[in-house]
Amino acid sequence: MVVVDSDSEIILRVKGPLELKCQLDTSDAQLTRRVISRTFESLRSQVQSESCVLAVCDSPVFIWPNKSVHATPEEITPNTPCEDIQQWIQTDDQESAGKRSAKKKSKKSSSASVINLRLMMELTQPGPLSAPILSKTVQRSHFLAATLPMDCVVCIGCSDTIKYACERLLEALTRQLCDMEKVTLQHMRGPTVLVPEALHFLLPEPKGLVTVVYTEGVSDSQLETQRKELHQQFELPDDRPYFRRANAYHFPNEPYKDGYLRNPHVVLTHPTLDNGKLYLVQGIYSYHHYMQDRMDDNGWGCAYRSLQTICSWFQQQGYVERSVPTHKEIQQALVDVGDKQASFVGSRQWIGSIEVQAVLNQLLGITSKIMFVSQGSELASKGRELANHFLTEGTPIMIGGGVLAHTILGVTWSETTGQIRYLILDPHYTGAEDLQLITDKGWCGWKGPDFWDQTAYYNLCLPQRPKVI
Amino acid sequence: MGRGYIVEDTVERYLSKLCEQQAGPVTGLLIGQSSAQRDFVVMAIRTPQSEESTAAGNSVDKELVSEHARQVSRMLPGGLSVLGVFIITDTDAKDTLTTLRQLVFAVENLISSELLWNPADDDVTDSVTLHVNTKTRKTVCRTFDVKDPKSTARPADWKYQSGVCSSWATVSCCLNVNLLVPLPHNKTSAENMDRCLKEGLKVWANQIESGVCLIDGKKLPEDSELTAGQRRNVRQMYSAQLLITPDDQRLPDVVQLCGGSVSVRGAIHSRAFLHSNKPKAKLAEKLLKRDVVSTVASRVQMLLEEEDQSGDKQQTEQLCLPRRVFCPVKVNGPVCVCDYQFSDEGLPEVIDRLKEMLDMDAAEEDLDTRQEMTAEVTESSVTTEPTVETVKASEPKKNNYIGVAMATAVALLATAASMLYLNDI
Repeated sequence: MVVVDSDSEIILRVKGPLELKCQLDTSDAQLTRRVISRTFESLRSQVQSESCVLAVCDSPVFIWPNKSVHATPEEITPNTPCEDIQQWIQTDDQESAGKRSAKKKSKKSSSASVINLRLMMELTQPGPLSAPILSKTVQRSHFLAATLPMDCVVCIGCSDTIKYACERLLEALTRQLCDMEKVTLQHMRGPTVLVPEALHFLLPEPKGLVTVVYTEGVSDSQLETQRKELHQQFELPDDRPYFRRANAYHFPNEPYKDGYLRNPHVVLTHPTLDNGKLYLVQGIYSYHHYMQDRMDDNGWGCAYRSLQTICSWFQQQGYVERSVPTHKEIQQALVDVGDKQASFVGSRQWIGSIEVQAVLNQLLGITSKIMFVSQGSELASKGRELANHFLTEGTPIMIGGGVLAHTILGVTWSETTGQIRYLILDPHYTGAEDLQLITDKGWCGWKGPDFWDQTAYYNLCLPQRPKVI
Repeated sequence: MGRGYIVEDTVERYLSKLCEQQAGPVTGLLIGQSSAQRDFVVMAIRTPQSEESTAAGNSVDKELVSEHARQVSRMLPGGLSVLGVFIITDTDAKDTLTTLRQLVFAVENLISSELLWNPADDDVTDSVTLHVNTKTRKTVCRTFDVKDPKSTARPADWKYQSGVCSSWATVSCCLNVNLLVPLPHNKTSAENMDRCLKEGLKVWANQIESGVCLIDGKKLPEDSELTAGQRRNVRQMYSAQLLITPDDQRLPDVVQLCGGSVSVRGAIHSRAFLHSNKPKAKLAEKLLKRDVVSTVASRVQMLLEEEDQSGDKQQTEQLCLPRRVFCPVKVNGPVCVCDYQFSDEGLPEVIDRLKEMLDMDAAEEDLDTRQEMTAEVTESSVTTEPTVETVKASEPKKNNYIGVAMATAVALLATAASMLYLNDI
């Protein structure tokens, strides 16, 4: 297990497959285990050998960590600070493979930057050496061929040297191979072997980024005992998940395959009020809005989209495994609970908070509280309740009233002055997933109490977070 | 505009000598390197005479020519290949061109059927045919696009020059090979081992092809000129390094029934020659990688061909692949050919083969045997770890790892006769 300090400024992530291949005589379980252990041992030797190379992705930089930290290009020495490596990395808008000029150096973002490395093996070696030998073993047995997806992360300071970084990376790789060996041997049953995989989880400060070796293909529901152990080990509360697969840390430079924006609100400047405090949604959600998924729901689908945003939150926090429901699935769920007639499916009828609550229950098993205000002006006085909700549950809120539905992602509220601002995610947006546009035009933005129709009544659906890990 | 062939003077002398000697038609191969702009011919090699051809008189044996080409290909390091075919006759018969056309297609088909690498977009697909008329001493040079079955002859230039490859560059490396492939569990005939090895070699060849190539320790941009900044007409030697990573795409991780396994472990010396007309880094990489793949594949093939002839299969066998021996070509420059010496052969056998296959007179002192050492089968090599420098792995300092327990079986077994163990929680 790698426990790293997330205050450091650079995350080094090394990934690369290693082939696990050996011939097994599975009639003898002990011998099989020894052969597998020996194969892992040879992989560890490979990683610690002079043939091991760490290639910095998208750059001409290659480092031999076990050869006195030799590197190419020759400007890079063992004492070069790691932040210098970033200058060699090609971004999309660059043609040459050379060093970027100081002028073009990108602004440092406040969050840790990630340097991706690839684990490679050098096949060449100074000769002369012996010509190859072909060995044939004829024996009825089994053959194991698996790919171990090595994936290690270390966090270091910008000014730490490459030499230090390599030591940490090698330590991590060796340890991960040991973890994988243990997991593989633990779960061998006769002639079947399960393949390990490494996942990274970002724990609350100061624990930071942690790597866990799970076994591939096994669902979260079967891993509960192990998650309990991990929660105990890291002294985490036992009422919210940190180690489900969906909780795996998403590295900043990795794109999301589904194309939805995640947490557009993080780029906003939050308002400051006298003695005001910020209460925000916790975790990750996707922005769902009109016209997405080739579904033209312009004018009627706003509550559906808000509901989709909420479902995406539960999926990405690991509470549910099912994907975000479509409009039809939402409608069918309401028919299934008896709330609507069968003709509802395929229609363009609106839904409200009560329906949102019903669907969350039916499809996701989530319970929600309903808050009612008889007129919009009253919302200004709901600061405490909303703040508490975001503190304890941290889920997005669906609010419907008048003719509109919205999602509330947080509030800034001052207990002393009672002033309040609402962070609103607007499902009525019909454009593309353009973060700049969405935030500039306020489709995700902070609104004042006058945002609400002061005379209309509103229902709010406040989804409750299940107390599970 | 046709292709232009720049040909070593020594080739002219060789062809002239053949004109004077032979009665019937003489065929042979033209060896060299093609590039986008220009083609270079370094050697000409007559087709060896078999016992039947002298009896059959004047006919040209297509199979003999293409088989000869296949064997010669194995003796050419990277950058050198069979560019085409020549024929020396005393007639100008129309069907000479047809014969030549048939020959180049037959040669191309046989050679390309053995290749383990994928053709590249920038490969030249023209083969050259040369017709020398002994009576008129006229030489006619034409090319055919051997990837196009309907191609017709196009005229080409044939120009003799001295020192064609005098300043060619050499790229080389010594590379570790470590292959392990399972044998099928139902039959273990020689045929199956052949097939399995070939499949394993194909996967390995893909890894090599997509590997990273460093030249003189640096990753050069593809289109950069290798010899930029070097003095002209100075022979260049470059050393290469190859870095690979297994395919990211996850194989269905399988524990399968097998009838055993075959491994190939050891090191090979790879070499490629580059023409001196501003060669690019990516050409060096392409030619070197192809040589790496073909030297291993050829040797495995040769070993299996030998083995097929010996009798009985044993439970466990160890066979030494032949080692690679180089011999310079008698032109001014670094260009060499190579041969493979089995562990039970001496250098005289190598000399004989160079004469028979390449029509080359070489002496033992000409041979370069220092690039590879003869493999030796010893007791310990049965359980040898890969020949990578090994360091005893130390236990990780922090022992507080947690393996996460699993309950469901995932792996598949490949055959009907397999046993499947199901686990419940």
